[in-house]
Amino acid sequence: MSKTNMIALGFLVIMGVFPFFADSAWLAVGTTFLVFSVVAFSQDIILGRAGAFHMGHAAFFGIGAYTTAILNTHFGWPILATWAPAVILPMTVALITISPIIHLRGDYLLVATIGINIIFIQVLENDLFGLTGGPNGIFGIDVVRVFGFEFFEQTHMYYMAFILLGITLFIMKSLDGSKFGRAMFYINKDDVAAQSMGINIRYYKMYAFAIGAGIAGAAGSMFSVQYSAVSPEAFNVLQSIMFFTIVLVGGSASLPGVLIGTFVMFVLPEIFREFETARYLVFGLAMILTMILRPRGIWPVKFGNIPAFLKKDVK
Amino acid sequence: MSQYLLEIKNVSKFFSGLTAIDALNLKVKKGQIYGIIGPNGAGKTTLFNCITGIYTPEEGEILWNGKEIKGTAPDKIAALGILRTFQTIRLFAEMSVAENIMSGRHIKSNQKWYNGIIPTPAYYKDEKYNWEKVGEYMELFGLSEYATTPAGDLSYGVQRKIEMARALAAEPELLILDEPAAGLNENETKELAEIIRKIQDMGVTIMMIEHDMDMVMSLCEYMTVINFGAWICDGIPEHVQDNPAVIEAYIGVEDEDEDE
Repeated sequence: MSKTNMIALGFLVIMGVFPFFADSAWLAVGTTFLVFSVVAFSQDIILGRAGAFHMGHAAFFGIGAYTTAILNTHFGWPILATWAPAVILPMTVALITISPIIHLRGDYLLVATIGINIIFIQVLENDLFGLTGGPNGIFGIDVVRVFGFEFFEQTHMYYMAFILLGITLFIMKSLDGSKFGRAMFYINKDDVAAQSMGINIRYYKMYAFAIGAGIAGAAGSMFSVQYSAVSPEAFNVLQSIMFFTIVLVGGSASLPGVLIGTFVMFVLPEIFREFETARYLVFGLAMILTMILRPRGIWPVKFGNIPAFLKKDVK
Repeated sequence: MSQYLLEIKNVSKFFSGLTAIDALNLKVKKGQIYGIIGPNGAGKTTLFNCITGIYTPEEGEILWNGKEIKGTAPDKIAALGILRTFQTIRLFAEMSVAENIMSGRHIKSNQKWYNGIIPTPAYYKDEKYNWEKVGEYMELFGLSEYATTPAGDLSYGVQRKIEMARALAAEPELLILDEPAAGLNENETKELAEIIRKIQDMGVTIMMIEHDMDMVMSLCEYMTVINFGAWICDGIPEHVQDNPAVIEAYIGVEDEDEDE
C-alpha cells in the first residue's frame, strides 16, 4: 500500500472511532469539522481545481441549509425528502447567478461573488416571503427519520456527516480521474493553452461551480439538521473567507491539504478556546506565515497521478 | 468540398488603427508542409492567432474545407481538427508530461457529464484507451522516461517536443507550429525536422512559422513571405529564395533574429 493510502486509511479509522472517545461537546466539534471539510472540498473544486476566485461559497452552503429548514418547518417535509432539493437548488442558483460573471478574471470574479453572498444575507435578514425567519433564522428543524427510527443523537449526526464526507471524497476521486477534473486543472494552469486543446473554458468552470454548489448544499442540509436551527450569520462573507482560506492554507487541489486546512482553521481555534479572542492573533500570524513559507499550502498537491503502465520507462 | 484544406482570403486584422495583417491570401493543400516566413513583427503569429480563433480578423474569410470559420472560438477550432503550438511554450508546467499530453485527448474522450461524479464501465474503457494513446505519443516523441516529471522542469528542447506531442495527441488534420526550432540547438533542430516529416507521413498537414532558413527550405513544399502584415511573394522554396523583394525584406537580416 502506498504511503498516501496508508495515511488516508489512518485518517478514516481515527475519524471512525472518534465518537467512542469524545464527550458531547467534542462530538459536536467533530461533526462540524466533517461538515466544514465537505464545504471546503466543494470550495476546492471551484477555487483549487478550476482556479476561479470564488468568495461567496457560504451562500451555496446556506441555500442548502435553508432549503432543508424551510421545507421541513414551513411545509412539513421529512428531512430525507429535503435532501435532493437541498442539492439541486444551490446548483440551480449557482448556474443562474454565476453564468453572467463566469468570464470575469481573478479579483473581478472575487468581488462579484462577494456581492452574491451579501445579497443572499440580505434576503435572509429581510425574511423573504415570511419564510427565512429574518435575523433570527429558523428553529425547530426535525431529525432524520427512516422507517420509524429517529436519528437524533450526536453520534448519529456524526456518522451521517462522516458518510457525507465519504461520498464527497468519492466524488473528488472520480473528478480527479476524469477528463472533467483534468480540464479544470488545464484551465487553471494556462487557459489559452487549454482552449487551444479544445477545452471549453466556460463549460468546465460552470461545471465546477455546479458540482461545488451542490456538495455545499448537501453539507448545508446536514448542518441545519445537526444544530436543528439555521441563522444568517453562519453563511455570511466571513464564512466564505474562511472556506477560501482553508483551501489556500491547506493546499489547493490537495485532498489531505484541504482536510488539514479545515483542521487548522476550525478545530485548532476550538482546542485553544481558553485563550479566547487572543487565539485569533496567533491565527492571523499563522496564515501570514503559511503564505510566505508555504505559498502552495501546508500539504501541496502532487501531480503525476497516471496509470502504472505509463511509468514503466521512468527512471 | 474545396480542393484546399485551408484558405485565407483577403484577411485583415487591425489593432487600434495599426494594420497587423493586410489583405492576406494563402491556400494550404492537404498533406502539405506550408511555411510562413517574414521578419519579426511581420504578423506571422497574428495570422496563426486568427486561424486558431484567438483573434477575429476584421476583414476577409478563413475557409476550412470550404466553410467559413472566422470568429469561431478557439476550442471549437480545435474540435474541427486545427491544433497548434506556441512561440513561447505554453505547457501546464506543474503537471506531469503524461498529463500534459492527456490534454490533447480531451476532445477525443467520450466521457459523459456524470463521469466527473461517478465512474461507469464505458468511462473506464475510455479512460484506459486515452492513457494508452498518451503512451503511444510519448513513445513516438521519446518522452516515456519523463512520464511523471513536471513539464516545467524539463529542458527547452524536450518542452518543445511535449507541446508537439500534446497537439498531435488530439489527432489534428492541420498542425500549426509557431517557431518550433526557436531555442533548440543544432542536433535538436535536426531531430525536430525528422519528427515533422514523421508527422507529415501520418497524414497531417502542417503550417509553420520558422526563422531557421535551412530547416524551412528543406522541409516546406510551399511558402508565403510576409512583411508588415502584407504579402510579398509565395511559391516553392527555390522560387522564394531567389526573389529580390524577399532578399531585401528578410533574407538579408535572417541571421540576427533566431531568438525572437
